[in-house]
Amino acid sequence: MKAARKVIMAKVQVKTILKMTVNGKPVEVAVDPTWTLLRVIREELGLTGTKEGCGIGDCGACTVLMEGKPVNSCLVLALQAEGKEVRTVEGLGTEENLDPLQESFIKYGAVQCGFCTPGMLISARALLDKNPHPTTEEIKVAISGNLCRCTGYVKIIQAIQQAAQQG
Amino acid sequence: MQSYEYYAPRSLPEALEYLAENTGNCQIIAGGTDLIPALRKEDIHPARLLNILEIVEAGGISETGETVRIGAITTFNDLADSELIRKEFPLLAEMALSVGGPQTRNRGTIGGNIASAAPAADGLPVLLSLDGELELSSRRGNRSLPLNEAITKAWTPAWDDDEMITAIKVNKLPPGTRTKFYKLARRNALARSRMTISLIFRSGSGGEIEELRFVPGSVMPVPRRMEEIEKLLTGQVPTDELLDRAARAVGEEMVKVTGIRWSTGYKKPVLGNLFRIVLRQLITAG
Amino acid sequence: MKKRGVGYGSMFYGLGYGFSRTDIASATLALNQDGSIIARSGEVEYGQGSDTVFCQIIAEELGVDYIAIKLITADTDVTPDSGPTSASRLTFVGGNAFIKVSRSLKKLLHGVAEEILGESDLVFREGMVFSRSDPEKSISFKKLAGEAYARGVPAVVTEWYNNTTHDVDPETGQGDAYATYCWATQMAEVEVDTETGKVEVLRIVAVTDVGKALNPLNCEAQIEGGVAQGLGYALEEEIKEEGGYVKTETLGEYMIPTSLDVPPIEVHLLEVAEPKGPYGAKGVGEPALIPTPPAVLNAVRNALGLRIHKLPANLENVYQLIHGEEAGN
Repeated sequence: MKAARKVIMAKVQVKTILKMTVNGKPVEVAVDPTWTLLRVIREELGLTGTKEGCGIGDCGACTVLMEGKPVNSCLVLALQAEGKEVRTVEGLGTEENLDPLQESFIKYGAVQCGFCTPGMLISARALLDKNPHPTTEEIKVAISGNLCRCTGYVKIIQAIQQAAQQG
Repeated sequence: MQSYEYYAPRSLPEALEYLAENTGNCQIIAGGTDLIPALRKEDIHPARLLNILEIVEAGGISETGETVRIGAITTFNDLADSELIRKEFPLLAEMALSVGGPQTRNRGTIGGNIASAAPAADGLPVLLSLDGELELSSRRGNRSLPLNEAITKAWTPAWDDDEMITAIKVNKLPPGTRTKFYKLARRNALARSRMTISLIFRSGSGGEIEELRFVPGSVMPVPRRMEEIEKLLTGQVPTDELLDRAARAVGEEMVKVTGIRWSTGYKKPVLGNLFRIVLRQLITAG
Repeated sequence: MKKRGVGYGSMFYGLGYGFSRTDIASATLALNQDGSIIARSGEVEYGQGSDTVFCQIIAEELGVDYIAIKLITADTDVTPDSGPTSASRLTFVGGNAFIKVSRSLKKLLHGVAEEILGESDLVFREGMVFSRSDPEKSISFKKLAGEAYARGVPAVVTEWYNNTTHDVDPETGQGDAYATYCWATQMAEVEVDTETGKVEVLRIVAVTDVGKALNPLNCEAQIEGGVAQGLGYALEEEIKEEGGYVKTETLGEYMIPTSLDVPPIEVHLLEVAEPKGPYGAKGVGEPALIPTPPAVLNAVRNALGLRIHKLPANLENVYQLIHGEEAGN
């Protein structure tokens, strides 16, 4: 009897309530301490704009803004986001009201398969918020943590340049 | 991955208490850029994770006279953005900007970089060239430990399990000192260092090398200042012949530590080449 | 010491499967009463822009607004099989299928319009169908669709385009391997550091004969992406295996170019119409990247006077090339 109870207890995962702000709204979600912020964003909050490319911080597809800074959400434990402000691509713009960067990406052909795009937009948004008139080199550095296999980065850089000039 | 107990205290005493109560059974996590992949791959199975990112005492960059204190949880971007660091220790800012990518530079910390004791960690060689000291804290008290004593074996910190790094201390360099950090890698971002050069140089009134500090990185299990090379060049006028001789000696000094490995054929001559190239840049930069 | 060099790489590449392998694409158009169109094809869009080009073709043929087309692709429940997205074949084979089906639908609608307008030489343009000689005699495409429906004209059409070639002579290897070929030449300018083996690509110029660029922006984008892939292939990408296990398991170990590794790329689209292609178009998916490695490696040879035979041309391999066997690995 005692042995059976032990087994049952071991299978119960102890979850903690995580409180953070996502795209301007307060969020409360029960998380397992081993979960990453990426997992919570996608699976618990249903915000699937953010992508999992590699899960270990090598590609940037999971980039979100945390306290205004771009980070790989696969390298943030969910609980480390306690009390923090998180912004995902869904918080950049809506279909009716696109972020100027999103408009620019469409206009200049910067989207092919689209997998890197949310991360690129977040990194670009972080750049333009801090530095509204970046040089080409500064743009390249800002997106150097976002891998893209389709575009060769050319039109992405152009789109960011154009968005900066409009803004 | 296996679950663990997670604790994120906001004060240093709370953290140290937790560490003391769970010595040897507790993994400190800061930026997590090394740890989280290791947890995912199940290379490590900690029973407890202590998140130190919320501890105010472990952060911040401040100066007291000639000493600059860099909090352990200072991120690489914090280092690169700091006017104080850029002014007093340019090579430290250069190194900070060369690590990983923008996202990892917003999370990876200098304390975590040192604590990893990884042969390819870039923070350690730079801070060794600056004769850095660790500020270690535990429930038993604080102490300072020179960096060259803090890591004596790859992957193995030499401080105690109940201690944590709260800061790194470095002393400002004499006026006229030039510094450079150079990283050779397979691509221009998101790349581990193939080898690095940390160089601190000052020339004297007669054009001779008044001070030289040199730490090669990613070429030995544990980085250290190449004092033999520093001795060879200090007080000398840097002629082409001397620099060539020194470059060859750099490779030989490396092999004395590493022995011949698969990468030696490349690293031995190239490390010397890089040393010579970077030193020449510093000499002519004036 | 840094040494500069310039190199060229040229290629031609057969589009489609060739060698008598089955190579067909299908397309279906269904016209709704309100003039909107539902198009279906088995072709797979994964970001290269085939969906865009197919809608462009329908819009071009029928004179309708691009936005009025709903395109469904790659759904095995409802789309006819069109073969995979490979062999750089979608614009050519799929595009031809869409031209064919668009023209078939146009023929049906033409008949109805002829009845209504009493004219036989009709133009489909900008949402209108009008007489070429007397443009006042016109009907909107939307209204025409409604009229067709009212007359019981079946406005669902499917067409196939067969790009299967005959084979080559098994003895001589001569013959009709592919229906058409794409041609491209790229120029690379590099700087090699002889003291570290690092190759920096300063500039790439790509000239690609695409037959006709149905969407120049997407064509350029394909080529730019292909060049970046070619750079990675030439300079850094390497799968290492040991005893049957892949050692380069992560994107950190298998390195592809980042934004800081791709030099300025100048793209020139050459349009020498391919008579068999949709509006003269060929394809560009794979041709985009094929000339890049030889251009870069030829530039390295030009810089060093030595030809590398071991890829990738990374730090160690280039250093070893310059300094001999003892150096490098």
